[in-house]
Amino acid sequence: MSVPARYQDGLVAQVIDVSLDYESVGSAGNLLLRDRETNAILTRWAAADIHPAYGRKGELRLSSITQNSGARIIVTGPAEIGQVRAMLPDLTTKQAMEFSKQVRIGVIATVALATVILAYLYGVPLLAARVVNYVPPDWERTMGDTVATQMEASLKETDNFAICDPDPNSVANAAIARFGAAALGTGSPFTLDIKVVRTDVANAFALPGGKVYFFSALLDRAESPDEFAGVLAHEIGHVVHRHAMEGLISSAGTGALVGFILGDMTGISIAAGLGSTMIDTHFSREAESQADAYAAEVASRMDFQPAGLADLLNRVAEDDDFSKALALFSTHPLTEDRRVHLQALTHETPAGLEPPFTAAEWTAIKTMCGSPLKAPPSKTKLGN
Amino acid sequence: MVLESEQERPVQVVFTGTRREMAGILLRGYALMLPTIGLYRFWVTSWKRRFYWSNTEIDGDPLDYTGHAMQLLIGFMLALIVFVPIYAVFFYLSTQSGEVAVTGYGIVAVVLWFLTGYAGYRARDFRLSRTLWRGIRFDQAGNAFGYAFRRFGWTILMLLTLGIVYPWMSSNLWRYRWNNTWYGDRQFNFTGRARALLGPYYLAYGVVVVVGSVGVLTSAGMGAFTPGGPSDPLSVIPGLVAALICGAFVLIYQSREMTRFWSQVHLGTANLAVTIRARSLIGQYLLFGLALFVAYVVLAIGGVVVLFTLANDAFAGEQFDMALFMSHLQGSAGVLIAVVVGYLLILAAFSFMHELFIGVGFWKLVARNATIGDVASLRSVRARGEDKTLAGEGLADALNVGAY
Repeated sequence: MSVPARYQDGLVAQVIDVSLDYESVGSAGNLLLRDRETNAILTRWAAADIHPAYGRKGELRLSSITQNSGARIIVTGPAEIGQVRAMLPDLTTKQAMEFSKQVRIGVIATVALATVILAYLYGVPLLAARVVNYVPPDWERTMGDTVATQMEASLKETDNFAICDPDPNSVANAAIARFGAAALGTGSPFTLDIKVVRTDVANAFALPGGKVYFFSALLDRAESPDEFAGVLAHEIGHVVHRHAMEGLISSAGTGALVGFILGDMTGISIAAGLGSTMIDTHFSREAESQADAYAAEVASRMDFQPAGLADLLNRVAEDDDFSKALALFSTHPLTEDRRVHLQALTHETPAGLEPPFTAAEWTAIKTMCGSPLKAPPSKTKLGN
Repeated sequence: MVLESEQERPVQVVFTGTRREMAGILLRGYALMLPTIGLYRFWVTSWKRRFYWSNTEIDGDPLDYTGHAMQLLIGFMLALIVFVPIYAVFFYLSTQSGEVAVTGYGIVAVVLWFLTGYAGYRARDFRLSRTLWRGIRFDQAGNAFGYAFRRFGWTILMLLTLGIVYPWMSSNLWRYRWNNTWYGDRQFNFTGRARALLGPYYLAYGVVVVVGSVGVLTSAGMGAFTPGGPSDPLSVIPGLVAALICGAFVLIYQSREMTRFWSQVHLGTANLAVTIRARSLIGQYLLFGLALFVAYVVLAIGGVVVLFTLANDAFAGEQFDMALFMSHLQGSAGVLIAVVVGYLLILAAFSFMHELFIGVGFWKLVARNATIGDVASLRSVRARGEDKTLAGEGLADALNVGAY
């Protein structure tokens, strides 16, 4: 029984009304196409070569690998489609094979991408730690200056920013510089530039190229020289490991990754930013542990307890619940964990070590920003 | 005589798709994008195109889209080769001081703008060469770099003349695109002239300049742009009203440009005639705005309910306890997942509504208002050789240019 269909040969832009018949040739078979008006045989399609092409609902479109790429047989109507499917039982199998091929491609591509992402998550920090050694120190120093200028400008607008005690030879500054030089040792290409600055935010961080900022709001909370020295040594650890630079390289890498996943390589989308931040958190936690370890190492050469670092962080965090929330996206491990780690890192202090600061120096440092600011801190951050 | 007049009557383009079908394609697509880490977007694009193409009937025969998701995926991979160096430059610039960075970003922006023209032309080529009607392929000749340079030159003129030359730029680029477009062995021909756009363009231009500046100045006078936020919430209203008026006039202009220019596209003796009413176009955007608003209200209610369940003690007192709420954010993986899911939902809701109301709506609008004269003359079009050189849309996908 013939099935009515439409036929286009892929050579001329014409559609011909045809009738389809199945013609057995031994074990194989052909689809015989006859012009519906003249009943003349137009062509034969080998059944084995026929594939389903995409068609909308209620329409079956057939193509053949041995015909022109534009050649189609178009069958409409459920009864007619059923008849053709009965003529070409392989069609359903081929459709299923095509579907499973697509699924296979999808699965392989996804697994490949997942592998790349995993390699990336572990590789980028490792790579960044290596690459950072090839960044010329001069370049890093210039960059640090740029960042410092921008940061000071933005802090001046909002946070009552001012540099406390600009005289580099004052008792406080000289003591800080001496501590810095001793803590830094000789293994770093940078010279330290530690500034205590007045702002309402409790924070301390290291910029690329050896600049360290200690904010007065954090200094005000410090109750002992150990706490101050602990934080400072931690920041100097960041300088020695060049974490600021490493972080920049890492976030550039993760930005590219998120851009790839979301398909927006221009990287303008907020999504890329948010995603990178969450991935970067993982990297900087390692940096924080390294800096803590460095602080502990400094403490083995000078007489202070590095766990003071955790005490200070805890105190700030207790005063200020808001800081806990920020920890979600902020770059530090929880202070409870760090305290345990720091205590574990604390060495038996050898006898006869000098304390980092004399009592007079500590008094000078505590008062270098004048009386403590009364404004409650709105955010707390310790790191780079 | 009767037969002859029937032959001469222009054929109406028919669109048979529904929003419901598209919604199904999109929802399934979003669901599969999660486990495939976003890779399924190439399949979604192919499915969307198949939907649009196969539901667009000309003289009883639908268009046929033969592109595959793999082609798009490979094209995207190739585009990455261009983007990795650009990305490296971006990174280098982000570490530089103000002036160097600004100059550098400027140069990168110029390069990207140039590449956008190139990518757009290539993407059009990809789509045309995978579009068939009655078994005959469309195609695009011309040179993508040539097009990109041409567009880039016009952009410079646009900047120098503050947009006065737009009608000439538009007609020139339309002409380049369409005169290089082929259906089988027959070449399209574009006869649009810039002067057809002058009236509507300068009307829209004038309105945008006058209403825009009046709105902005009034808002500024009421203190909308004081640092640290508007001093009076009402002060943003004149600016918003002005923006809406300007938007409406831009859409009016666009409807005129599409109507007048599409109606100048010929293929031999066959010719396209399109009439797009401005009110239909504006209506579409209003509908989109409404749909988006409803979607976001629903999402916001859902979000509050979910967060309330996860962190209910923060809402327990008379006042919402921000600190307690934030401590939940830190402690609970559930809240973190809720935030990420919420973010993805917001993104998905936008692209969903955009596709349904701007995508489908616009395609329907154009198709239903398009007629083609002398379709019979197309029966003699013959196929040309295959253009298989294009590997996906590459840059276009990476740069996010080109709808559909």
